[in-house]
Amino acid sequence: MKIADKNTKAVDLVREALEKAKEFEQYHCFISMNEARALERAREIDEKIAKGEKVGRLAGVPYALKDNYLSREGVTTAAARMLDNFPSPITATAVAKLEAEGAIMIGRTNLDAYAHGSSTENSYFGPTHNAHDMERVAGGSSGGSAVATALGIVQFALGSDTGGSIRQPASYNGVWGVKPTYGTVSRYGVVAMASSTDTMGCFAKTAEDVDLVMSIMAGKDPKDSTTIDDFWNRELEDAKPKKKKIGLIKDFLGGGVDAEVVKAIRDYADKMKKAGFEIEEVEMPIMKYGLAIYYIVQPAEVASNLSRYDGVRYGHRAAEITDLDSVYSNTRDEGFMPENKRRIMIGNFVLSSGFFDAYYLKAQKARTLLINAYNEAFEKYDALLCAVAPAPAFKLGEKINDPLQMYMEDMMSVLPSLAGLPAISAPFTKSKGGLPIGVQLIGPRKSDQVLLNIAKTVEEVK
Amino acid sequence: MAITREDVLHLAELSNLRLSEDQIEPLIKDLDNIVGYISQLDELDTEGVEPTYQCFDMKNVWREDTIEEFEANREDLLNLTVESEDNQIKVPKVL
Amino acid sequence: MEEYKTTIGIECHVQLNTKTKLFSAVDNDAVDKEPNSCVSPIDYALPGMLPVLNKAAIEKCVRAGLAMNCKINLVSRFDRKHYYYPDLPKGYQITQMYQPIIGAGVIHLPDGSDVHIEHAHLEEDAGKLTHFGTYSLVDLNRAGTPLIEIVSMPDIHSPAQARAYCEELHRLMMYAGVTNGDLYQGNMRFDINVSVSKTDKLGTRTETKNLNSFRSIERAVEYEVKRQIEVLEKGGKVKQETRGWNDATGKTTSQRSKEEAQDYRYMPEPDVPPVVLEQSYVDKVEASMPMMPDEYRSKFGLLNLDHSESEAILNYPILAQRLNEVCDKNISLAPRVAHWFSGVLLSEENQDKNFALATAEELAELSEMVEKKELSSTGAKAVLMEMYDRKNTAKTAHTLAKEMNLLQENDEGALEAIIDEVLQAPECAKAADDVRNGEMKAIGFLVGQVMKKSKGKANPATVNGLIKKKLS
Repeated sequence: MKIADKNTKAVDLVREALEKAKEFEQYHCFISMNEARALERAREIDEKIAKGEKVGRLAGVPYALKDNYLSREGVTTAAARMLDNFPSPITATAVAKLEAEGAIMIGRTNLDAYAHGSSTENSYFGPTHNAHDMERVAGGSSGGSAVATALGIVQFALGSDTGGSIRQPASYNGVWGVKPTYGTVSRYGVVAMASSTDTMGCFAKTAEDVDLVMSIMAGKDPKDSTTIDDFWNRELEDAKPKKKKIGLIKDFLGGGVDAEVVKAIRDYADKMKKAGFEIEEVEMPIMKYGLAIYYIVQPAEVASNLSRYDGVRYGHRAAEITDLDSVYSNTRDEGFMPENKRRIMIGNFVLSSGFFDAYYLKAQKARTLLINAYNEAFEKYDALLCAVAPAPAFKLGEKINDPLQMYMEDMMSVLPSLAGLPAISAPFTKSKGGLPIGVQLIGPRKSDQVLLNIAKTVEEVK
Repeated sequence: MAITREDVLHLAELSNLRLSEDQIEPLIKDLDNIVGYISQLDELDTEGVEPTYQCFDMKNVWREDTIEEFEANREDLLNLTVESEDNQIKVPKVL
Repeated sequence: MEEYKTTIGIECHVQLNTKTKLFSAVDNDAVDKEPNSCVSPIDYALPGMLPVLNKAAIEKCVRAGLAMNCKINLVSRFDRKHYYYPDLPKGYQITQMYQPIIGAGVIHLPDGSDVHIEHAHLEEDAGKLTHFGTYSLVDLNRAGTPLIEIVSMPDIHSPAQARAYCEELHRLMMYAGVTNGDLYQGNMRFDINVSVSKTDKLGTRTETKNLNSFRSIERAVEYEVKRQIEVLEKGGKVKQETRGWNDATGKTTSQRSKEEAQDYRYMPEPDVPPVVLEQSYVDKVEASMPMMPDEYRSKFGLLNLDHSESEAILNYPILAQRLNEVCDKNISLAPRVAHWFSGVLLSEENQDKNFALATAEELAELSEMVEKKELSSTGAKAVLMEMYDRKNTAKTAHTLAKEMNLLQENDEGALEAIIDEVLQAPECAKAADDVRNGEMKAIGFLVGQVMKKSKGKANPATVNGLIKKKLS
């Protein structure tokens, strides 16, 4: 990580980032820039350095913020018309922690509205383009942050991952992405999607950088009752795996996954062997139900969490108002994107009287079976290996009119989310078409650093 | 189960969404596909299995009963609303 | 109409008197505060805000549960109840649908009847709406205030019993110290479910919501019973619906019928981990509970006070406690103290007094002085009033009586001097002679003269005796 010091001015780091952001404007990574404030903060930091005062571990490091994090700097839109003019009076805990260490937010990145999507096409402000092919999607929902990192505009960017929203775009753009153990980073001040699987993580170009940023954001927050004690406190090289044994999930080496992707995973497994790991194929039949479980649990929580957007207290309010009902229903019709509406309606379907037991309760029971299957596997393995997504980045518009096809993108990424487990997306290879293909490593709770350590070891194998 | 037009209208009401006619037709198809897909859980035997609502067991996460300062005060909050009067949020008459 | 059987179940919402709200650490006491001045970003439901449970609300739930002889569920969880209303910022209320903290229990009413509690759960209150011509204003000060909703079984069968149940519930919550209990401020609000039937099969019930006075509860039940019987007698059907009470007209009116009932789409609350209590914790709370109305009743039964008198005293936990302490000192002194409480202290003009000021010692002492004729009952009442004046807290009853010059003169020597003086007085000669000749009614005049000379401090009985002795 390039950090400001006596020789490197924070102002120069920020200027450089802002210039690159302009240079790559056509990728549409950003919804809004934070230029003035960013330069102001950079100067403050340079003054401190000049005075020899203590500056943080990320002094003057420019970063990009997914636009579903609240911050008093600028407007938080969640890429939805509902919040297109929402000047947050609150700053998210994660953002506050980074800024306390001197990190500087240069802009807010694009996402699928309310993080609902796997392509960043569901943004009220238009799609973000893949860093390696303008014709293709960035992945999502944290597409803007992934591309901004891949293009080298920023050294790291924040994302949120509820069912793959960091890992899949990381894989599509060839950068590192971490979805930490549930409860590692506070959710306070981040627009909620599905509370029981929402996690806050980041993108960077190296395992070390990801590790540094996560170690700063991690920790218990009295404002989020689901955060856990800080365990992200080791040096990366000390987080060594104990068993040196990896499970290769057999269920994802065939149907539904691209041959090219399957080959990549097998190649990675071979590389792991070279790195001294024992690889064993493991069958986990419950895995094929993961997507169905997720698309019951997540929409239910989405429908509930989006109930507060009613045009009464903040955000968009429809112009055509005849009565209170129209304040609600017109505002919500105008304020949400089609995908938001689909999820809200599916959520209300699985929660409605008569269907609760058959869908919601059933899914939560199936979720228990999934967790049991993982626990069993981790008695033998340090980690499980599978692809992040079934194929490399697809073409813009290719799946936008077929929601179910879009959901299939998440078939492998939603699984650790449902179990609250850490999962990383590590860059590995490229397709014949030159599109990045990453790999996914999943481990037991709080093994986040171990996963990074493993992937770094493998990366270093020549 | 198949999703009908009536289902969509009912769900739209539960969801407080006033949908224009052109949105309804595609929604019937999309929701029907999705519900069809998630219904595959029927084949899974969950007899006697406890549901998981939170990924791992946490309990008794609570605070002491003391007043704290918050980042945003009344003015900050009311400034966000479209209409306010006498430090209250203004909405069309509730019947 | 008496062949109709009335069946009533009551839901009561009790606002807990915690310092802060249930899920946000802002002031929970909005009385006399400006609109929206007790509102945090959590109560306002900004994006990304999360609830943080108030520990004190859990303890108050346990206290309330124990006060109602309820089972305390060691494991309880929270759920979301969804509906859209401007006073409900999140679009859902955090409540306990599936695993409430308070289980089944029973309340004994003063008339000896029992009302069973189905369960009681912890939830958050909504905000307040004020309606104007074309618009309404939203004040969220009350949004997030902790509530216990107490659900009774349909064990109640008359308007009077309904009132008695609510009054007893109010007493129990006050004794448990979980609410300020101000009905005018809406600290306790009641929903009554009423049905009538000629058979053992329950009739269709209506729910009348948001009653906030004991009188209106009794009247609303009376009205509903009458109304439903009329409907049935006319061959009609009672509609299952929610009704509202209008205190001015004394009528209930239809609000929402069950057909249009909402689907609340209950969902487990993922942001708040479950509450798991140790039995030892519950035991500790139980040990800290004060004496409850029932125990006081059995104790005060020994004083043979009349029912209304003891119930009036029971409405004031501090007075019940004082009276009980006096009983423990000397039960024979207690009835007089009870009469003072119900007769003097609880009269309109004294409602503002701080009933805690007079200690059991002082009250017992005062009662004993009357017993020993050192003080007239009128004098005692005057002293009693002074005891409830803060500036006198340090003084004993005797000191006060002395300062107020109310101590009765029982010293025979001193009295005889006054009596001789009176008997020698020419204006008394006739009366004295009459008495000597056995016309005893004349003695009253002489006693009166002595009392006058002693400025009322002489004890009339003693004087009477002494005069007789002298003139016989």
